[in-house]
Amino acid sequence: MIFKIAFKNIWRNKLRSWTVIIAIALGIFGGLAVISTATGLSDMRQRNAIKTYVSHVQIHDSNYLKYSGLKDLIASEEKVMSYIQESDQVEGVSARLRIESFIQSAGGTSGVVLNGIDPEAEKQVTNIAEMLQEGNYLADFKRKPPILISKKLSTKLNAKIKTTIQCSFTDINGQPATGVFKVVDIFTTSNSMYDEMNAFVRLEDLQSISRLYGSHEIALTLKDEELVEQYREELMAKFPGLHIASWRGIAPGLGYADKMMDLVMTIFLVIIMLALAFGIVNTMLMAVLERKKELGMLISVGMNKRKVFWMIVWESIFLALIAGPLGIVTSYLAIQFFGKYGIDLSFAAAGLRSVGLESIIYPTIDSYYYIVISVLVIITAILSCIYPALKALKLNPSETLRTA
Amino acid sequence: MIKVTDIHKTYDDGKVQVHALRGVDVEIKEGEFTAIVGPSGSGKTTLLNVIGGLDTPTLGSVSISGTDIANLSENELIDFRLNHIGFVFQSYNLIPVLTAKENVEFLMLLQKRDEAERNERITKLLKAVGLEDQINKKPNEMSGGQQQRVAVARALASKPDFVLADEPTANLDSKSTANLLDIMLKLNEEENITFVFSTHDQRVIDRAKRVITVEDGKILSDVTK
Repeated sequence: MIFKIAFKNIWRNKLRSWTVIIAIALGIFGGLAVISTATGLSDMRQRNAIKTYVSHVQIHDSNYLKYSGLKDLIASEEKVMSYIQESDQVEGVSARLRIESFIQSAGGTSGVVLNGIDPEAEKQVTNIAEMLQEGNYLADFKRKPPILISKKLSTKLNAKIKTTIQCSFTDINGQPATGVFKVVDIFTTSNSMYDEMNAFVRLEDLQSISRLYGSHEIALTLKDEELVEQYREELMAKFPGLHIASWRGIAPGLGYADKMMDLVMTIFLVIIMLALAFGIVNTMLMAVLERKKELGMLISVGMNKRKVFWMIVWESIFLALIAGPLGIVTSYLAIQFFGKYGIDLSFAAAGLRSVGLESIIYPTIDSYYYIVISVLVIITAILSCIYPALKALKLNPSETLRTA
Repeated sequence: MIKVTDIHKTYDDGKVQVHALRGVDVEIKEGEFTAIVGPSGSGKTTLLNVIGGLDTPTLGSVSISGTDIANLSENELIDFRLNHIGFVFQSYNLIPVLTAKENVEFLMLLQKRDEAERNERITKLLKAVGLEDQINKKPNEMSGGQQQRVAVARALASKPDFVLADEPTANLDSKSTANLLDIMLKLNEEENITFVFSTHDQRVIDRAKRVITVEDGKILSDVTK
């Protein structure tokens, strides 16, 4: 009977009940939307970073990362490469020669890292080849060696396709060296900072100009991302003299961003739950005060206060039980829809690119969060009706019947 | 059955003391049809509330069927009211979301009576108050008189020792008042149910078998017809 009265009571003021139900459903929707969007952003940032410049595992000479020394080439590179190439777990591997260079054209100058790559091998590891304006991936050129620069750098240098540019650096002997390249294509990744700092040339061209016949960096991607740490450990055991790092070690910022995102999400969820709690407290308090006379009558005729308390708690639980599925189904549908078609944030594309994000975000979420949010909302609903319910217990029946 | 001995009730809000009852002694026996009358503020509702265990006296004792209700804890008192006292209020005070049948059934559910007994009693009581064809109507679908008759049926549902009715006809028209009084008198006469009213309605006073007049918190007269 208590359930029945509680359930019927919530429909006495339909507008108010629906307001609370929609508020709770929006709370769930808001919580899940924030989590799914944040997860989508985080995944995208991580995926882009891995696919564009970090890759899953990078191998360097132990000194290279400390001093960026030209001479710190990877020892026994061929042995390392053949070991990696023979592995079934590896999707692609690319050896790079990286030289910090001063780049200049008739229209401007900049500092840049020249990446000497084997285009075909690099294609298996990063996605620069997919981000070209015309699709000339260091393949079609005459006389002058080809170079790929980013759109951002091309603007800075006022260089277009077919523009000749000059790169100056010091060679292995500390002597000035200069390479003259022709821009064969222009790329744009989702990370404008990376774009500005990197240019790509063929490995053999850079080796011959710098007279550095080797690689500073071996980057590889695995077929299964889950096995990154395991494979890294395998490489470390095999080649103990080398510095071998997974993407988490190479770009710790990505991991920190995840943790920061978790913190932001937690704070956001707390705010949503607090707003929800105050909404429910307010509504249930109104419902109690409005029914003082009736509650007084119930106590007068013999309904004990424990039952009155639970009747009010059940009213709140029923509201949450209606709102919960509503919020979850709405969120699920929205996340599925936007997960497939994306949320278009083109208006903020420039800002997003500066932090390595694309302008279309695809929300995604672990199903576990549906349970977490639902439980949180129901707990919040129950906790927030306790004060109004206790208020009801303090009613003096004769007084409420006399004055209400 | 009801024995009120030297009851005093003083309301004190910290600024003003109001002496609602000043030494009232009353004894009401089983089967009585008693009206407590008096002008507004005379103390009749306070007396009724004290008898019903809704208010505790400042001084004195209230014994109902041998139990001194002043010694009961709050929860014991609620249980006592459920099992021994039926209430009819001035403004009906039915549960608005329940039908007539469910309103009558409510107290029996609190008493954990079985379904067969509940159904039998609902039918009997709603028939007794002339509402057997209105059982599925909610209070807002019934007239004031009908609602008050449901309230009487509800008060009787728990098989109380007596029914306390606080100005039960105050919101009713003449026809409904006469109808309600007919029903209550019939229940009193045929089933020996004890009714105690507070009222200043002359129509009720005229038909009461005993009239206790209260004024300024004291019993002015006690007349059995």
